[in-house]
Amino acid sequence: MWYLPNLEISVLQLMKRLLTSAFLFLSLLPLSACSNNSSPNSSANSAAQTKTQTKTFVTGAIPDQDAEKLQRLYGKLSQYLEAELKTPVSYKPVTDYTAAVTAFKVGDLDMVWFGGLTGVQARLQVPGAEALAQRDIDAKFHSVFIANKNSGIQPINNLKELTVLKGHSFTFGSESSTSGRLMPQYFLQQAGVTLEDFKGQSGFSQNHDATIALVTAGTYDAGVLNEQVWQKRLQEGKIDRSKIDVIWRSPEYYDYHWVISPSVKQRFGDDFPQKVQTALMKLDPKVAEQKEILELFGATKFVPTKNENYARIEQVGREIGKIK
Amino acid sequence: MSRPASRFISPSLQWGMIGLIAIALSLWQAGLFRQTVVNFNGFPLLWRFVAASVHPDLSYDLLATTLQASLVTLAYAVCGTFLSVTIGAIAGVFCSEVWWLEVLRAKRLRYFGFHSVRAILAFPRAIHELIWGLFFLNIWGLDPLVAVAAIAIPFGAITAKVFSEILDETPRQPLLALINSGVAPITAFFYTLLPQAFLNLLSYSFYRFECSIRSAAVLGIIGAGGLGYEILLSLQSLRYEQLWTFFYALLILNGGVDIASATLRNQLGCASRIDLNSHRPTKRNISNSRIFSLFPIAIAGVALSFWYIQPDLSKIGSPRSQQLLHQIVQTSLPPNFTGIAELIPLSVETVAMSVLAIAIAASGGLLLAFPAAQIFLLSGLLNRRGNANLFPLVLLVIARIVLLLCRAIPAPIWALVVLYVLFPGILPGAIGLGLHNLGILGRLFAEVIENLEQPPLKALSAGGTPNSLVFLYGVLPATMPRFLAYTLYRWEVCMRETVIVGLVGAGGLGRLLTEQLSSFDYQSLIVTLGAFLVLTFLVDWISGRVRRSLRAS
Amino acid sequence: MSSDPIISVDRVTLQFGQFTALTDISLHIVAGERVALVGSSGAGKSTLIRLLNGTLEPTRGEVQAFGQKLHQLKPKHHRQIQRQIGTIYQQLHLVDNLRVIHNVNAGHLGHWSFLKALISLIVPLDVATATQALAQVGIPEKLYDRTDRLSGGQQQRVAIARVLVQNPMVILADEPISSLDRELSREVMEILCNCQSSRTLIVSLHDVDVALRYCDRMIGLRRGRILFDAPSTAVSSEMIADLYRL
Ligand SMILES: Nc1ncnc2c1ncn2[C@@H]1O[C@H](COP(=O)(O)OP(=O)(O)OP(=O)(O)O)[C@@H](O)[C@H]1O
Ligand SMILES: [Mg+2]
Repeated sequence: MWYLPNLEISVLQLMKRLLTSAFLFLSLLPLSACSNNSSPNSSANSAAQTKTQTKTFVTGAIPDQDAEKLQRLYGKLSQYLEAELKTPVSYKPVTDYTAAVTAFKVGDLDMVWFGGLTGVQARLQVPGAEALAQRDIDAKFHSVFIANKNSGIQPINNLKELTVLKGHSFTFGSESSTSGRLMPQYFLQQAGVTLEDFKGQSGFSQNHDATIALVTAGTYDAGVLNEQVWQKRLQEGKIDRSKIDVIWRSPEYYDYHWVISPSVKQRFGDDFPQKVQTALMKLDPKVAEQKEILELFGATKFVPTKNENYARIEQVGREIGKIK
Repeated sequence: MSRPASRFISPSLQWGMIGLIAIALSLWQAGLFRQTVVNFNGFPLLWRFVAASVHPDLSYDLLATTLQASLVTLAYAVCGTFLSVTIGAIAGVFCSEVWWLEVLRAKRLRYFGFHSVRAILAFPRAIHELIWGLFFLNIWGLDPLVAVAAIAIPFGAITAKVFSEILDETPRQPLLALINSGVAPITAFFYTLLPQAFLNLLSYSFYRFECSIRSAAVLGIIGAGGLGYEILLSLQSLRYEQLWTFFYALLILNGGVDIASATLRNQLGCASRIDLNSHRPTKRNISNSRIFSLFPIAIAGVALSFWYIQPDLSKIGSPRSQQLLHQIVQTSLPPNFTGIAELIPLSVETVAMSVLAIAIAASGGLLLAFPAAQIFLLSGLLNRRGNANLFPLVLLVIARIVLLLCRAIPAPIWALVVLYVLFPGILPGAIGLGLHNLGILGRLFAEVIENLEQPPLKALSAGGTPNSLVFLYGVLPATMPRFLAYTLYRWEVCMRETVIVGLVGAGGLGRLLTEQLSSFDYQSLIVTLGAFLVLTFLVDWISGRVRRSLRAS
Repeated sequence: MSSDPIISVDRVTLQFGQFTALTDISLHIVAGERVALVGSSGAGKSTLIRLLNGTLEPTRGEVQAFGQKLHQLKPKHHRQIQRQIGTIYQQLHLVDNLRVIHNVNAGHLGHWSFLKALISLIVPLDVATATQALAQVGIPEKLYDRTDRLSGGQQQRVAIARVLVQNPMVILADEPISSLDRELSREVMEILCNCQSSRTLIVSLHDVDVALRYCDRMIGLRRGRILFDAPSTAVSSEMIADLYRL
């Protein structure tokens, strides 16, 4: 009967193990339960967000460029707003246009830095939402069309000449970018260039820097992007001008802006949007801290804006099918 | 006898030919024989990306970010895996043929039951995690719950499918022997089939864990945070040095899971077949108690992960969620069929892209799997003296690193990189997907080889059969069916993943889907998802047929 | 015949697709009989055994066990009958990666509850019975070994131990001694024959001498037909020669 002791040991061990696992399992239950009502100490702590939603003003943004910088930028901005508004302010990172609009719709974000088109899309899904403020440059925003030198596309002087792009491959930025997609496609349409006129399918590089890279590589003959990014990359010396250059600068249009949800009025008072607007406009380039925020936005100051400014964007959005 | 031709054209040859034709047609669709595909001007940019791999950004700040992001990704992966394996284990039994056929003995019900469960599971499977993520985002908002559910739902369905296939391919005779001695079928099922299949199931669960890590990374995009989010941020501004730091983190995560899984399987006696001709003393069998000592660790890991990411479980059934669910259902109905004509060419593109991707993945994976399998060169299968010499070891390490790199880097990023040197179209997308899946298939293949029954091979080898013939007569026939099963299953995954390479202009239904998502055109979106569903069914059906006809022959 | 047959096969034909494996088989076996099935390879011995335990269904004809028509029974009753029929398969059909004790305990599963079976997979239950059965077949020390680490003959004995634990009224044994040496074969045949006088044994054998020694009745199968069915004492060497004629 040599096996019996052996067996007993294994039974004992087993009991012990089962008990430990049961214990651990039980300890898990209260753990996950209490995680729901523990109070958050970090802004990213969203489990407790339902409880604190009424108290915290949640801002968000779609990084359009220099996304890692935006991280810092929003830290600074929430601090500033917190001090100005005397309300806890938190920032939630979102990297996707669609996700940001959805989060705004669901009510997880109270105020978002949207692009022209996404702002309109968001407002259409949240009745009562308001365009609040924008940078000085956003009222007169431009896109630049760029081309690879090898493609033989020459600079043009007016919209009608965009037809030179016919028969070439072409890339936009992100699907819902105003400067990298919506307005450029609108201008192309006005020149009589449809997406079918390009060689192959038109691309969606997803962002402005990728557009520069892909046109530099020659993957696409030409592309279009936000002028602000182009200028910045030029200054940084990141553009190889022996390979690519601007062929045309688009007419101006309205772009980026802050959109605020109507729900803040119930939670913080009817005048809250006003207060936020004032706080944003009060950002002063002469104060070092505030100058940094403005710089990170690429702005010299914020100016008020209103929903009506985006009527044209909305109309173009409907024409192109980005708004149903 | 009635069909003399069929003697010469065996089913495998037939399907092989069909496969080759499909690949050729897909290449044609990709424009390979019609236009230039390689863009030589893009090589300097590709080089910049590659060169950055040797000097990743190792600044303190970035490393701190990386560590934190890795923990987040890991925690999501643990939670996602836990839920998907749980779902998969339960649903997997119910959609296995052997359950309906042998356990329930439901002759008439069989077709109905079996096929309806499969059909239900095809639905969550056909839709990519990212889409699930966006769906849950619509009802739960920005909550970690979104990412966990987005992993758990489609992966649960996939796990169920694979578990059912593993169960179906496990030898049934012991089960039948017990059933026919009057044992209740369910008891017999748990007593024979599950222990037999256990190692394969476990091994697949570990693999699922790796998939979850990759998926958790991709889901970072919609706000789940973690490595995916950081990668996307760096990618958007083309900071390759930072990008590589994050890649290395993914590499370490994936590799760590790989090593952990290998060690565990070793301890569970899975690798013990290797011991047969090595000089290590045979371990006493302790598998049961080892398995049980795993449970507390696993449970603690899951608990810790849930605690770390803190999903708000109360949201699941909350009235607000229900209201939002109601709302999204309303905005998606009625479906808008106006664009349906457009779906046909796009579906063709999607299928072509997936066929090319899987062809690349399977052939590359096959090539790398053998050197990457531990038992193959190292411990004596084709190395009779049994002494591990350096060459196979080096080969093993290189093969494993290549496989790891391939699968750690997400497919859209591969596609974007490939896009530098190829002109746009479905080909860069297919290559991106192919490279990513190559790493995954290669690893799966290697594991099949490591789980291979050794005695028949030893028998061949002992009879003086040259290595090449042992390979041809012993290894290939024994591994091919499972290779094929994995390839066919991965084909379906490739098709799903065309969604995420659609982002980089790779075309197909994926691109239409992203366009519709960004236009919030849910009524048309639902029709496109329907097309995906049809394609998934198609692939499911074809792969089922192929495997059945190969098994019969 | 003194009593009712415990197993009776009535004009059974069995086909695998186009191929007819058994043709027009009729036989009756009463309790306590020890029947040897002999015949050359491919004659249909294993097929007949799988027919008798209800694994295969006849294409034509009828199989009765314990007075019940096997293939018309409800699953539950079918199982009750099958519990009284223990089979040792030619290919053994053991669960390779379980320990020996679990494979032996599988004999109990017919009357164990589901829960008990599950628990036993973790903590082996009823160790004493299993040890006794293993001791009978001569390998008690292998109780906790993994089954696939056993030699072929040892595995065969595990399969026999499983049936001993099941303790059925009828044992069907498909070449139970094919991998055993003479001495062991003798022991195993003795175990199979001598447990209880009331137990019925149907065993397929390649070794006619063994069949003559241990069985009181021999059925010769040739190409799926019964060539002879006679008491062992009445089997002549011509009949055997005829059976194995090419
Ligand atoms: N599942 C099956 N499908 C098709 N044919 C089968 C099947 N099982 C058995 N056969 C055929 O039926 C015939 C009888 O097989 P069986 O296994 O009963 O022979 P046997 O008498 O047991 O032979 P051996 O002594 O070699 O074990 C053989 O020709 C075999 O090929
Ligand atoms: Mg036989």
